[in-house]
Amino acid sequence: MGYDATITQLPLRALFDLQGEPSAIGDWCGDALPAFPERPNSVSERDGRTLIWTGPDHWLLSAPLGAEAGLSEELRPDDAPADIGVTALSDTVTFFAVTGPDAGAVMAVATPLDLHPDTFPADAASWTESFGTKALIRRIGEGYEIAVDRSYSDWFGAMLDRVVA
Amino acid sequence: MAAEPGRLPEGGRIDRSRPLQFRFDGRAYTGFEGDTLASALLANRVRITARSFKYHRPRGVMGAGPEEPATLVELEGDLASGNRPATTVRLTDGLVARSVNAWPSASFDLGAVNQALARFIPAGFYYKTFKWPDWHLYEPSIRKAAGLAGAPRESSNDGYEARHAHTDLLIAGAGPAGLMAALVAGRAGARVMIVDEGAEAGGSLLNRRLSIGDQPAMGWVAAAVAELSAMDNVIHLQNATVWAYREHNLLMVHERSPENSSLSGRSWRVRAGQVITATGAIERMMVFEGNDRPGVMLASAVQAYVNRWAVRSGQRAAVFTNNDSVYAAAADMARAGIDVAAIIDSRDSVPDHARALVPGMEILAGHTVGKVHGRRGLRAVTVAGRRIDCDLLAVSGGWNPAVHLYSQSRSRIVWDERLASFVPGDAAQAVLAAGAANGAMTLGAALAEGAARALAAVAALGRAAAMPALPEAVDTPYTVAPLWTAPGAAAKSFLDVQNDVTVADIELALREGYSNIEHVKRYTTGGMGIDQGKTGNVNIIGAVAERQGKTPGEVGVTTFRPPYTPVDFGAIAGRRAGPVVLPYRHTPLTGWHKDHGAVMYEAGARWRRPGYYPRPGESFQDSVNREARTVREGVGIYDGSPLGKYEVKGRDAGRFLDWIYTNVMSSLTAGNGRYGLMLTDDGMILDDGVSFRLAEDRFLVSTSTGNADAVWQHMEKLLRIERPDWQVRITNVTSQWANATICGPKAREVLAAMGTDIDLAQGAFPFMAFRDGTVADLPTRVVRVSFTGELSFEVNVRPRDLPTLWEAAMEAGRSHGIAPIGSEANHVLRVEKGFLSLGHEVDGTVDPHDLGMGWVMSKKKPDFLGKRSVALRRSAGRPRRELVGIRPLDPDRQIPEGAPLTPGGRKEATEGFVTACVWSVVESRWVGLALLTDGRARIGGRAYVRLPDGIIEVALCPPVFHDPEGERLRS
Repeated sequence: MGYDATITQLPLRALFDLQGEPSAIGDWCGDALPAFPERPNSVSERDGRTLIWTGPDHWLLSAPLGAEAGLSEELRPDDAPADIGVTALSDTVTFFAVTGPDAGAVMAVATPLDLHPDTFPADAASWTESFGTKALIRRIGEGYEIAVDRSYSDWFGAMLDRVVA
Repeated sequence: MAAEPGRLPEGGRIDRSRPLQFRFDGRAYTGFEGDTLASALLANRVRITARSFKYHRPRGVMGAGPEEPATLVELEGDLASGNRPATTVRLTDGLVARSVNAWPSASFDLGAVNQALARFIPAGFYYKTFKWPDWHLYEPSIRKAAGLAGAPRESSNDGYEARHAHTDLLIAGAGPAGLMAALVAGRAGARVMIVDEGAEAGGSLLNRRLSIGDQPAMGWVAAAVAELSAMDNVIHLQNATVWAYREHNLLMVHERSPENSSLSGRSWRVRAGQVITATGAIERMMVFEGNDRPGVMLASAVQAYVNRWAVRSGQRAAVFTNNDSVYAAAADMARAGIDVAAIIDSRDSVPDHARALVPGMEILAGHTVGKVHGRRGLRAVTVAGRRIDCDLLAVSGGWNPAVHLYSQSRSRIVWDERLASFVPGDAAQAVLAAGAANGAMTLGAALAEGAARALAAVAALGRAAAMPALPEAVDTPYTVAPLWTAPGAAAKSFLDVQNDVTVADIELALREGYSNIEHVKRYTTGGMGIDQGKTGNVNIIGAVAERQGKTPGEVGVTTFRPPYTPVDFGAIAGRRAGPVVLPYRHTPLTGWHKDHGAVMYEAGARWRRPGYYPRPGESFQDSVNREARTVREGVGIYDGSPLGKYEVKGRDAGRFLDWIYTNVMSSLTAGNGRYGLMLTDDGMILDDGVSFRLAEDRFLVSTSTGNADAVWQHMEKLLRIERPDWQVRITNVTSQWANATICGPKAREVLAAMGTDIDLAQGAFPFMAFRDGTVADLPTRVVRVSFTGELSFEVNVRPRDLPTLWEAAMEAGRSHGIAPIGSEANHVLRVEKGFLSLGHEVDGTVDPHDLGMGWVMSKKKPDFLGKRSVALRRSAGRPRRELVGIRPLDPDRQIPEGAPLTPGGRKEATEGFVTACVWSVVESRWVGLALLTDGRARIGGRAYVRLPDGIIEVALCPPVFHDPEGERLRS
């Protein structure tokens, strides 16, 4: 018997890459964003929108796909000033959920990132490596969420299935 | 079915209610749950269990754990694996094993003829003997004769897993020191991982009869294990070996029996804050003539077989030692009914505490074994002219702290005169050694050291811990007086049993000038291979020291290399095997391509793309020709999604592109693009692509498919290291935009038929421009670029929309005969046009001038990346390989890509090579491109392709075979 974990490929969601100083992004985006996360590799959430710290002066805004058009109107990526970057990235990554009692064991195979609660608490999120490719990992209620470049998703899903089998 | 004549009627840590059947070298035997293959063979009195590596001398089991140097086996069936020490193979029902180095069996081995040739094949014989005409002529048969087990022929159906772990403290070894360390650190709340290679915890305590506190030592072990298992912060692995210690406290663990029943092995990559090596100590052999005879065993192994597996390794024994530890072993042997005839101690004086353990037993102090008797097994030994009949000789040459792991951490190993062995010195990483692995050779000292090291490790982690009350533990003191080689030791005195290295070999190496211990190791192979010098290394060093008049410390120690014990390749690979062994990438159309019969290729950067779409009855070439003609004469469509795409934004974006491209990008107006080349620091072409200006401060940069990630890294590195003050932000949008490229003379008609609000007229939408709009009611960005040399529209959409767009194009193009084309036809089309391709014409050695693209090197810009390097290199005036077109004189002669060009086709240094050769649908013949020394000046002349089967004469021509003015692509 393999692991008691479930792998689920999640639907597309609205994603926007945000780059620049927080004050400049805040000025441009206004109320469209949750508060900026308080520390690196963490997330903040508000009204179904999640802001993920992905690097210095770099965030990823995530929301349900249904909010994509509205967010695009709010954020106006094509008109953003020169000192910030706002880029739609909804199609770039595929999200997988790893859930179940053995989700941690599956993740230990999938990534070298230390996911112990002391180092990767409930609001943590980080780009890291998974099966040798770049992946964004965060905790979700009953397990973990991994996002990889869309082009790798077939292979990545097959890898996760092999781990669980 | 044989009985088990060597099994004691009671005792041992075996389950007698669970008998097991197994086969060894074709014969059936029985054992019990809890046995190893070695203990079961000894219980069945199988004396010859192996043949030696080189001389094929008969060998028996000598050890009881991973130190076993002699009996390596190959397992068959579901457990198939090779070169496993029999002492580490857990007995299972139906196990089938056979000895390596022997055929047809260890008992009767045809290779034993080598024994007659032994004097002709000493260390290094093959270096001297098999030189002419070529070593490789002899190598296969020599390796076959001397080799160990082969790899299993069938791949394992069992699963392996490679996982990661992080821990505050990794403890290697669950003997008394390791367990005590784990208790202290675990109680302090540290994340602890304790890993032990044995089937159960206890280490040396499993093999001995000792007490801790007021209970048997194994009772204390059981309590410790129970306490650890109740701690959420502790991971405890048994049957798992820490086999490698790498940089930054990364350690590799091979777990052989994971709790997950779908797995037959698991590899752990552990990042540890602190490491404690509590790996115990390994007993040394005594070195005397005939010390490899079946029946000669390590004393600690004999003791272990008696106490742990209830097996008598012989009926009448002699004991040969230079230290105190064997006295307890001899007492245990006698208690189990083995008749101990005498203890031969090379020391003139035997301590009273040792004598006290064996009252009434004859002790021959100041003596050595002079000779062993028995050809296929020990029958007697001679000591000072006295023959002592025995079928078992238990030997102990002293103990070596198992410093392998500590040494692998690159920490120092130093000589300890008191122990006559090497012990851990200064640490190079966050590692401590404890217990016998650190030279604490008694139980009480090991427990105390385990606790102390754990306190130190926990303190280094910033945690507080309390020193526990240490239980009382009585053990025999350990003293040793080294006897590196017994008098008369020579060509049958084995220092490294596994590699058949004898005292005579060492002496030969020294005579031939290999005075450094590292050279001795390489010349003789002593300490190499699977064994990694577990039983022999220090003896070799001691023997060398003896002969050089030095101390072993002055001789020095060689490097211990991973793996400590053999590791299954499958465990290292983990789940990455079979169809997922390498990552593969797909586009939103991959399913469509496969459904329509595409032959899929890997096309760089792990992308799987359609190579061609064969139709019934078509050959490969038929398909490629048809697809290429479709584009030249009508309209084709291909999936261009993998092309690298990056948004470059910021106040300095234009300046940045001007710096990384050879030509000017900042002068582009919004809506337009320009082809450009990127160079490396040394002025070689890194990549090519088209950049578009989206807005004043925003560009879209496209890269080649295969180099997309490398270009991204290149740009980010430059910005972060060279130009951190520039305001430029890069976003990878490769996967945000997918595209269908419609190409061919009828492309405009097809695009119009799909329905678009973009004015497609040539004047309104010229070559190298892009337009945002809708196509087939989908939001698109249409780009006019061409890789085929024909009118071409690259229609970019969100990947989720690509299948809809594609179907719309196929429908709209049906009346025009639209067909999908693969990368093979694309290759033909670009060669006909003379467009460069990364990996073909661009291989890291060419600059733009070499490809006839000097025009792309801006003369307006004061500087750009690689400019100075190109100028410097070309100022030398040396000839360069330049791009030319080639036409074989025989139009039907294909030339392999990569084929060399030599002057006149003669066997001389190459003057270039063929970068591409395709069947041209516009010329109806084979044509190609080549990089040729001074190629451009030689256009109009001839060159020669030199192949093993002949010479191909080619005519040199400009590297463009189709539409040299570019009228079609601009149409």
